[in-house]
Amino acid sequence: MNAVKSLFRNPPLLTFLLVALVWLVASLTLRGFGAYGHLRYLLELAAVIGIAAAGQTLVILMGGIDLSVGAVITVTAILLPLISPAWDPTGLIGIVLALSIATGIGFLNGAGAAYLRVPPIIMTLAMATFLQGLLVIVAGGSAVTVSNPAVILLGQARPLGIPAGVILWLAVSAVVLLLIHRMPIGARFLALGANPLAARLSGVSVTRNTLILYALSGFFAGLAGILVLGMNRQGYVGIGDPYLLTSIAAVVLGGTSILGGRGTYAGTIPGAILLVTTTALITVVNASPGWRSIMFGTLILALLLISGREARR
Amino acid sequence: MTEQKPLLEARRVFKGFFGNPVLKGVDIALHPGRVHALLGENGAGKSTLINLLSGALQPDSGTISVDGKPVGRFSPAGARAAGIAVVQQELSLTADLSIAENIGLGAFPRRFGLIDYRALHRGVRDVCDMVGLTEPLDMPVADLALGRRQMVEIAKALFRKPRVLILDEPTSSLSAHEAGILARLIGTLRDRGTALLYISHRLNEVQALCAHVTVLKDGGVTADQSLAGIDGEGLVRLMVGRETGDLFPPRPAANPGATRISVENFSAGLVRDIGFSARAGEIVGIGGLVGQGQEDLLLGLYGAIPAKASKAEVSGKGALPAHVGEANAAGIVYVPADRKHEGLVLPHSIASNLILPSLGRLARGGFRDRGAEAGLIADLARRLTIKGDVARAVQALSGGNQQKVALAKWLPLDPSVLLLNDPTRGVDIETKREIYLMLRAFAAEGRLVILASSDTPELVHLCDRVVVLREGRVAASLSGAAISEEAIVGAAMGINTQGAAA
Repeated sequence: MNAVKSLFRNPPLLTFLLVALVWLVASLTLRGFGAYGHLRYLLELAAVIGIAAAGQTLVILMGGIDLSVGAVITVTAILLPLISPAWDPTGLIGIVLALSIATGIGFLNGAGAAYLRVPPIIMTLAMATFLQGLLVIVAGGSAVTVSNPAVILLGQARPLGIPAGVILWLAVSAVVLLLIHRMPIGARFLALGANPLAARLSGVSVTRNTLILYALSGFFAGLAGILVLGMNRQGYVGIGDPYLLTSIAAVVLGGTSILGGRGTYAGTIPGAILLVTTTALITVVNASPGWRSIMFGTLILALLLISGREARR
Repeated sequence: MTEQKPLLEARRVFKGFFGNPVLKGVDIALHPGRVHALLGENGAGKSTLINLLSGALQPDSGTISVDGKPVGRFSPAGARAAGIAVVQQELSLTADLSIAENIGLGAFPRRFGLIDYRALHRGVRDVCDMVGLTEPLDMPVADLALGRRQMVEIAKALFRKPRVLILDEPTSSLSAHEAGILARLIGTLRDRGTALLYISHRLNEVQALCAHVTVLKDGGVTADQSLAGIDGEGLVRLMVGRETGDLFPPRPAANPGATRISVENFSAGLVRDIGFSARAGEIVGIGGLVGQGQEDLLLGLYGAIPAKASKAEVSGKGALPAHVGEANAAGIVYVPADRKHEGLVLPHSIASNLILPSLGRLARGGFRDRGAEAGLIADLARRLTIKGDVARAVQALSGGNQQKVALAKWLPLDPSVLLLNDPTRGVDIETKREIYLMLRAFAAEGRLVILASSDTPELVHLCDRVVVLREGRVAASLSGAAISEEAIVGAAMGINTQGAAA
């Protein structure tokens, strides 16, 4: 009884067990679902959501939200092929440039929220809209093909049979978990998310942390954009769109409070896997994609009710 | 006085939460026309008893009777219908609604299905007059100071014409003037035959207003008797079984050190163009009616709100701190009045709250040093006798212990200036004593303590100097033998302004 209770109070574990259960049942009942190649493919897809949701997790923990994640992914995926200098054989310079732009966009989001006092939801939405307009002008309707070797390597390589994207995700996870749980700034984010006024009066700088946070969110979205580009080998307007709501859904599925102040990236990780798994299930059983959205919605509500209610006690 | 049958009575009520008994067989009887005091330290079970009497909770066993008839399941609606109204300590007002809307909430007069504001304002006018609310009735409650909101809360309870009125620490945020209005109001209601239950940590109020007392200790009744012939000392003995003589620590001979704060033409928020200075080793009290700029003075010195001064000397620096981080770096710390919203991150653990200001200092190589943190937390919890598991959420603590956490978190900074805003509001007497002792010890160590307080005895008996603010200006600056309740209250009300220099 106590074990069950503590499970309900541990949303990351709850989500993780749910993923394991779905994988187990699906592998036993659906032909091909449990194949190593298929599961690996699922993880590869989840990596993009997971990396995009890394920044989103941090922002939501601090009580904000970043609606420009999808737009930043698109910006990175389209600009990177255009700005990678041809004389750089490694392709790393293009990556650094693209990540700088993504981080800069995030920083602007933070500046708007911190200095102009624009609510984050408005600031990032306006930024996303602005960027989408800009992209249509810059790239028009055509897709951009990538030839940057580092990006292609990231999207296609499989050292020891593990996709490079998944390895990147592992690295991102380690960094984000350390940041939240082992660095002072993580504790400050959480305090700001739970009670900004008390945190400020305790000497936590709202401005500084807001700037850092949104810059980080931009950076991780950029990273996700590079990975998507590498996997697709093409960037086009709208490529990042599916990742906006999924990044938020992964955070919430992982038990992080949408109001801020409570949660962890350890929940977002299984949250992201759960999202791609449901999508895959819908595809495998050949149901209408409408069911995917219906299941997302139901899952989010159900997990919130199970874990959230218990945690409030 | 009256030996009628009780209006509201609880008999042998038991109540526990998650297996912890909170009330263990409590009896209490509220009679019409009598003001009944309910005393007890924080955590003694007062709030639980109020919740049982008002239908917010159900007793595990025992009976609640109204007019001598036991009620089965007592709901908040049932309690309201029976004429029981509670003025909660936690303000229950909706900030964005107007004064009139808050008072009439749930009982709006209607016309053609819409709220009839004219009828509402007419109905509400009376109760507002009774509590001395002169603000426009359509003013949002958000624009009112804390003390005024409390008066709205009281008006809201009166609006339902209660037969039983329960007041849970109604004066903790009131100015002396407002407390006086409330005291007269209580007399009027009593004479009209209302049964009143009065909860307060201020014993002089209890003595002045109440005729009968029930004392709770650890969930049991330790006294249930008439207050006739019992003085303040006797009351405290009933409560803690100890003399109060030592509530305030002895004041040593004035021996102030170097000037720590000196500002000229200082303005911040409500505070306009004042001069103020204070030296190391002093406890300086800031008094006045509620909302005369006391908080803004502290916040301005703390860098938390914009402030300016023609000349400033703050903790060795030649300028006011530009933001909180700068103030902290200069050894200035602040303990807010509203500890739940400003002082603490309530859903987080005691440990997280204690460590928050020290995170950066304890980190090694950019990472948190868990060992050092745990050591510091344990040390702070021991020094402030914060009991229990530090991993618990701070919201589970009683008011007194929460205040200790809000204060303790600053100790690792070794602050040279402590700014405290009403630190003993809603705090039980035992914790009050601990806080007073601590503040006196800080001063003896050469720190400067600046204490804004709505509790006049605190200003008189604890502080070395008292500055009284009125409408954002210094109305009086008192020291030594000139500090008295009369002088403070007089200056606060603008009656005399002796020694008005800074």
